[in-house]
Amino acid sequence: MHGASRQNYTGRSESPALRGHNECVRRGGYVPIEDYAVIGDGRTAALVARDGSIDWLCLPNFDSSSVFGAIVDAERGGAFELQPSIPFTASRRYLPRTNVLETIFTTDAGAVRVVDAMTLPDERLPPLRELARSIEGISGTVPMRWRCAPRFDYGRARPEIGWRVGVPVAAWRGEAIAVANWDAGTPTWTDGAVEARWDVRAGARSLLALATAYGDPLVLPGRAAVLSRLESTIAFWDRWSSARGYEGEWADLVLRSALVLKMMIFAPSGASVAAPTTSLPEEIGGERNWDYRFCWVRDSSFMVDALLRLGCYDEARSLFWWFIQATAFTAPKVDVLYRLDGGVGVPEREVDLAGYRGSRPVRVGNNAVRQQQHDIYGALFESAWLYSSGHHALDADTGALLGGIADHVCDIWRGPDSGIWEVRNGPFHFTHSKAMCWVALDRAARLAAAGEMPARHAARWRREADAVRAYIEGECWSDDLGSYTRVAGSRDVDASLLMLPLVDYADGRDARIRGTVDAIDRRLREGDVVYRYRAADGVPGGEGCFLNCSFWLVSALARCGRLDDAAALMERVAARANDVGLYAEEIDPASGAFLGNFPQALVHLALIDAATSFSPSAGRRSERKAS
Amino acid sequence: MIGSAIAGGFVGTLLMTTIMRGASEFGLTRIDLALLLGTTVTDNRRKARAVGYVFHFLIGLGFALAYGGFFAIVGRSGWLLGALLGALQAIFTGTVLVNVLLPVVHPRIGTPETAANEIALLEPPGFLMLNYGRRSFLVVLAAHIVYGAVVGWVVRV
Repeated sequence: MHGASRQNYTGRSESPALRGHNECVRRGGYVPIEDYAVIGDGRTAALVARDGSIDWLCLPNFDSSSVFGAIVDAERGGAFELQPSIPFTASRRYLPRTNVLETIFTTDAGAVRVVDAMTLPDERLPPLRELARSIEGISGTVPMRWRCAPRFDYGRARPEIGWRVGVPVAAWRGEAIAVANWDAGTPTWTDGAVEARWDVRAGARSLLALATAYGDPLVLPGRAAVLSRLESTIAFWDRWSSARGYEGEWADLVLRSALVLKMMIFAPSGASVAAPTTSLPEEIGGERNWDYRFCWVRDSSFMVDALLRLGCYDEARSLFWWFIQATAFTAPKVDVLYRLDGGVGVPEREVDLAGYRGSRPVRVGNNAVRQQQHDIYGALFESAWLYSSGHHALDADTGALLGGIADHVCDIWRGPDSGIWEVRNGPFHFTHSKAMCWVALDRAARLAAAGEMPARHAARWRREADAVRAYIEGECWSDDLGSYTRVAGSRDVDASLLMLPLVDYADGRDARIRGTVDAIDRRLREGDVVYRYRAADGVPGGEGCFLNCSFWLVSALARCGRLDDAAALMERVAARANDVGLYAEEIDPASGAFLGNFPQALVHLALIDAATSFSPSAGRRSERKAS
Repeated sequence: MIGSAIAGGFVGTLLMTTIMRGASEFGLTRIDLALLLGTTVTDNRRKARAVGYVFHFLIGLGFALAYGGFFAIVGRSGWLLGALLGALQAIFTGTVLVNVLLPVVHPRIGTPETAANEIALLEPPGFLMLNYGRRSFLVVLAAHIVYGAVVGWVVRV
């Protein structure tokens, strides 16, 4: 059984992985979240554990059901393992300026290099999706093993297994995968998994390729074609990285963030997935487990801003077009999130999986879509403002669409909502939501003044923006705290308030902003990381520190002029990345263990904003309008 | 026959375009045929819609001539036969024409094969254009039935 073999890794004495910095220990079949790296092709992504096991892959798209889901159920989820069959250590990196992962397995018998990639299509009849695993002997002779246990439909379906011209194939309904292999042993099917063992000598090269089909015939690739696509995939990512213009501090982390963000843009539509995983827990054993495989409007302004800063003009335009098309269906109301294909409605359900280290339930879909979250209107208008600032004009229909949405914001901003953190015990009058409504109306008025939107209601937008500001300054400030408050009239602070100087609600040197940043620094910061709030939110259990909040604190400190404090904090938070430069949504401040979905776009977007905050050219967002 | 086919095609396309645009305004679908067609030649959204409407009318006239040819071959016409042809055309459009063929020739529309090394500006329509809303196909079906009925009613053989 697949689960039985993974149980062998539960203890150090039983694990084939050796000890030390590069150890990879499975407990109960699970590795720490920070032990994963991600590979992807802009349509789906796979999580590769340090021990060479691919424990998460949804096919054919990010939001499809999983074929490998061992990360949320080590026994029944399915995985594609590849590793030495004797004790080893593993070190890994991304090949420079690529999303292609290199893992070096070192054993007493020698060393082996494995290169993993989701290949990009070429003109040589590629499979619908292809995952290539290249194995090269570096020294000695290393006994290796691989085992592919596909479990379609989140582990619920047992596939039909068999052979096609000597290639192992598994199929379920319209889906099928083939595991082509060259010089990688003689595979056999056992208990629904195909596996093989073989020896890799120095200088020898073996190859595995997972080819997939969905509703069409399987393409069984040839060895030369797979190797060619692997090389062209490496070349593409290198070219793409070369075109990124950022040369400031923390350039390596910024480039890694840019690469992972590009990987998480769903290329068929231009939408950006918040994270490629579902239900990695915010607390081990807890129930704060959510599906992030959708596109949040909230992330849009950060994404458009980051893409423009990094010179990704085509990607920024594609994302903005997607938003206009997706929101057109619900306008003037804007949903919190949309499916990657632009559709609305992502009903939440629980699937019968054990959960990461027993963290249940495992959810598919996200009921946050039903919430009222007023801050998303600010995000949408900030996106439009930044997009038009990037030398793209808004067309008349888009301007009219946005005009209707701005009118809607005038109608709703006085009401309560569930806020940026999607609390389930609300609604409340969140200060951050009010501020983002101000952003929406302010940007609408500016766009109208610039001739990008109809100006017929511009006076109303400006008038209502002033009313929002008066409400915030009157109802959402506490003299006792010396800070803006989480909700009107409360005595709590909230890390979302760090956004106020970032979206130019007020200048970073404003006394109230400085007081708010100080209060958050004092009350929510734990070491170098930041809790989002300490109030109840209607969901049982605890959580870690949100890493995006830590980067927001860096950005806010920089905008307050506290550049030394900001730089010191940036160094420490940057050091919290895993060994390949990736971040999950949250972190346990004590152990440094990652929590939540991984990798998370919002954290990497916040990192880019923080790193570029030190640049003199960073400037205020609202003043970045092209002349 | 050619003259009546052109007249019927013009009126039919006019009604079809109005129905689809109206359905879009009422939130029934996100299909924007003018944008879909126009972006085959430009990525400027304003120009694309203008060009797209011209394309759409030309295509509408072309199909009306094809309907006329079919009516001539079978030796009869009428609104019911036209409506039937319209329904068949809608099914072909939703399953093959827009779902499969258009993304192949359209330089700015995504397909299920589009990967990170390409930039799509328009999301793929999907089977029966369901990516543009669950009621999209019903709108397309209704619009094509009206188009076919008008052409069948106007064209006499």
